[in-house]
Amino acid sequence: MVTKTEETQLNRLEGQVENGGGGAWDYLCFVRKLKVRRSDKVLKYGLSILNDPKKRSSLGPEEWTLYEQVAIAAMDCQCFDVAKDCINVLQKRFPESKRVGRLEGMLLEAKGSWTEAEKAYLSLLEDNPLDQVIHKRRVALAKAQGNMSGAIEFINKYLETFMADSDTWRELAEIYVSLQMYKQAAFCYEELILAQPTVPLYHLAYADVLYTLGGLENLQAAKKYYSSTIELTGGKNTRALFGICLCTSAIAQLTKGRNKEEKDSPDLQSLATAALEKDYKQRASDKVSVLGSALKSLKVSS
Amino acid sequence: MGLGFLIGAFGVLILAHAAFSTIQYRGLLKILEEEFSGPPVNVIVELLLALSFCMWAALTAAGKFLSVHHHSEENRIVSLPANMDFLIFNHRGKVFSPGTDMRLKH
Repeated sequence: MVTKTEETQLNRLEGQVENGGGGAWDYLCFVRKLKVRRSDKVLKYGLSILNDPKKRSSLGPEEWTLYEQVAIAAMDCQCFDVAKDCINVLQKRFPESKRVGRLEGMLLEAKGSWTEAEKAYLSLLEDNPLDQVIHKRRVALAKAQGNMSGAIEFINKYLETFMADSDTWRELAEIYVSLQMYKQAAFCYEELILAQPTVPLYHLAYADVLYTLGGLENLQAAKKYYSSTIELTGGKNTRALFGICLCTSAIAQLTKGRNKEEKDSPDLQSLATAALEKDYKQRASDKVSVLGSALKSLKVSS
Repeated sequence: MGLGFLIGAFGVLILAHAAFSTIQYRGLLKILEEEFSGPPVNVIVELLLALSFCMWAALTAAGKFLSVHHHSEENRIVSLPANMDFLIFNHRGKVFSPGTDMRLKH
């Protein structure tokens, strides 16, 4: 979970390193801690540290984690020789390691040799049938080949054993959304919200899925989850504010014929509209007119 | 905060000085063979002074308070980490040629 302070700190470090101000090792550690995907920068600055023998020896035992990080970044940037060299160095140091085996499997995957990667993962799984990381790599392999149903099957089997793994539930939800299986995606997001109720982005994604499903109860639930997102982010999430406006107008459109039980929803929509206008005036004042016309069209159709 | 630490150190020094004075006073009483009823007045004054200094330092040198709310400006979650376990390399970045100077030099 990347908080606002961490994000500003990351951007500051990135700017500092890019302008030649040093601090590359801090940046790399921070990227590793936050698990963000900045492969080009990691590759560039990681290589600059690894190619300099003085800096390399000053790292001590952390050198090997840096090799691993640079290997993965190299695979992401399609520099397969760099990745191969890093893996060779790691293999010389840790000959019978599962972690290095996984890196080799990932390299085969990145090069596109799917069958060999599958064979490598299966052989690693024979020795350790309960290795979570290798199971997840098999899922990623299926996903990379475009075999979404196979990936879903693997994930479901994995989740029968390891039910508490939020990352996997999130991956499953995203796969379902990409396949437009929204009901199943909603189930996955419910599991995520149960496991980690204070992360607003899960509420937001769940609300999005409910809004996409449509239907009166789903829209009302979506409005509730957009509201909880706004509460959890202190009102700074623009997407949730827009979500409230859209939900209110969609609900009003659905219940146009029936006699409405007057809820307090007009307050909610006007509050959300006011918050949006204030936010836009502050951050993008030239787009306030666009916002105004969009919100007016929502109100007219409701 | 520097002033707080200074005053706190000063208070601790006064406390130590008061302790030494009491021990010296007891030594004096042993020589004069009187009973030790209580520390002399100046030691008590010194103790109270040291107490007030240390309390003031403890309150002011507390440091920066961090926000506890999960929806405050510093603590709100802006993005989720990229799911690194499910990373795939079969993305559109494949068409970009890698930098030619990217090599591990040993």
